[in-house]
Amino acid sequence: MAAERPDGETTERKALLDLRHISKSFGGIHALDDLSLSLHRHDVVGLVGDNGAGKSTLIKILAGAHDPTSGVIELEGRPQRLSPPAEAQRLGIETVYQDLSLVGTFNAAENFFLGREISVGKGPALFRFIRPKAMAKTAIRGLEELHIDIPGVRSKPVDRMSGGQRQLVAIARGAFWGNKLLLLDEPTAALGVRESREVLDLIGRLSARGITIVMVTHNLEHLWAVCNRVVVMRRGRKVADMPSAATTMEDVVGYITGAKEPEGTSARLREGAA
Amino acid sequence: MSADRNAAKGGETATVTAAPPATRAIVMRVLGTYGTIIVLVLMVVVFSSLRPGTFSSVGNFRNIFNDMAIGTIVAAGLTVPLVAGDFDLSIGYIASFCGLLVVGLLSAGLAIPVAILLVIAVGMAIGIVNGFIVTKIGVNAFIATLGTGTVVVGLNYAYSGGIPQQLTQSREFTDIAIGRIAGVPHLVLLMAAVLVVLWVILNRTVQGQHIKAIGVSPESARRAGVAVDRSRIVAFAIASTCAAIGGVLMASNLGSGQVTAGDGFMLTSFAAAFLGSAALKEGQFHIVGTLIGVLTVAVGNNGLAMIGAPIFTQFVFAGSLLVVAVALGGIGRRYRIG
Repeated sequence: MAAERPDGETTERKALLDLRHISKSFGGIHALDDLSLSLHRHDVVGLVGDNGAGKSTLIKILAGAHDPTSGVIELEGRPQRLSPPAEAQRLGIETVYQDLSLVGTFNAAENFFLGREISVGKGPALFRFIRPKAMAKTAIRGLEELHIDIPGVRSKPVDRMSGGQRQLVAIARGAFWGNKLLLLDEPTAALGVRESREVLDLIGRLSARGITIVMVTHNLEHLWAVCNRVVVMRRGRKVADMPSAATTMEDVVGYITGAKEPEGTSARLREGAA
Repeated sequence: MSADRNAAKGGETATVTAAPPATRAIVMRVLGTYGTIIVLVLMVVVFSSLRPGTFSSVGNFRNIFNDMAIGTIVAAGLTVPLVAGDFDLSIGYIASFCGLLVVGLLSAGLAIPVAILLVIAVGMAIGIVNGFIVTKIGVNAFIATLGTGTVVVGLNYAYSGGIPQQLTQSREFTDIAIGRIAGVPHLVLLMAAVLVVLWVILNRTVQGQHIKAIGVSPESARRAGVAVDRSRIVAFAIASTCAAIGGVLMASNLGSGQVTAGDGFMLTSFAAAFLGSAALKEGQFHIVGTLIGVLTVAVGNNGLAMIGAPIFTQFVFAGSLLVVAVALGGIGRRYRIG
């Protein structure tokens, strides 16, 4: 914290989160195999790979839902355990899952504060009284700050909103609570063209605010629209990690399917396997 | 030529089929949201016109509220786990057992407040056991509570030998249920108090917020950091505590502990809660809805008695109402604007 001002340059270059030689196996299955990854501030990482490549395992480790079987995680230079999810959240890491993030009958404000309600009183949840107005005010302000214009924040159940509006609410909630790292699981999967655009715009604005973003996607066009970095996974391994400006969609598809393997990476992988 | 005709026909059927679903959806939405209230108002209108002097008198409505008070307390308690998405089939048996137990404890010489608190604690404990079996062992709530309920019946028989317990104590205990304050029966006041407490819990506390979230989307709640298991256990404990309160009041009202006196609460509570889910909130369970549900059953039974309908009609009415209630609640959920 103290080093930030005089030495802004190095802070900027220092990784927010470092994963070193992370492996995760479930029984005999290696879901992740010796994966190393550094996430920096302002990174918008597009995480791609076929089904079963290890993307969701990686996301779950970052979200604190899984502990790695082996390997080291460092947050801002210090070794750090991320699980359970509440610990990751405490550290400023939020996850927006594909469908299962919002409660349909709750309005946007209630969803914003689900599990973290503003309340008066102490002790067990039964004796703590919620403050709906304070929550609505804060949620509305949070959405305004992100230039998200959704009517009925305190009156409309989110299942009466469009899919795009729901996704905006879910991501805004993640950004509201997670000031360091935001994990997005296929944020544009079920959305139309215009709604996808709005979600991608929001991701861009969040990145500009300094939040690091990792976004799992199958849509390479959406990836190129917002991500400055591409990480390709295949069979539990990271097979490519490069600036999106330095590669092409064709190459990335090649890495995903295994038709193409970058020389440096494959050599390193062979070493690792030996 | 023929293609044109087909196209015209296609267009025609399209418009014919396009209109009814819209109307149908509106009708269904109204039924799912106001169905129970419509039934209630219709009954009040019909019975009032058939028996103007007797049905629609202050005295009769005081009777209706007094008679439904204990059932309302049990049904409102059941509403809490229903909101969380869990069934509790043990409440009727808990009410029976607790009614018997309180009479037994009083006969054994315990002071009235001590006996009541002890019995309510027993009721709460059964609910916590229910919650643990459902959440920690993962037994389906329907089966789990049927099991614990049957065990409670066993406890009931072990304690009483299947023989009703007579109250040997003073009138003090029976006054709890039978007394009045300024003309308002104690039971009605107690019912109101329980309803207010449960409404506040569900709508104004963090716990209530979590219970509601779990009922709609347990996975979203879990991922948002809600203590799902603990919330469900609390919901079961609230239901069984209310069942215990109902049992105590029943014993006070009857002046004795009857072995199966509360068993019927299971069916009537479910009927009330489901009727209530078709009142105002489009298929969601809620406290005010359950009150409206109990009132609907009570008004129906009272009115049928007033017009001198034979006893069997009350059972036909109550049974049919349960089916209609579940149907209306389902319609409310299906046609919810989503």
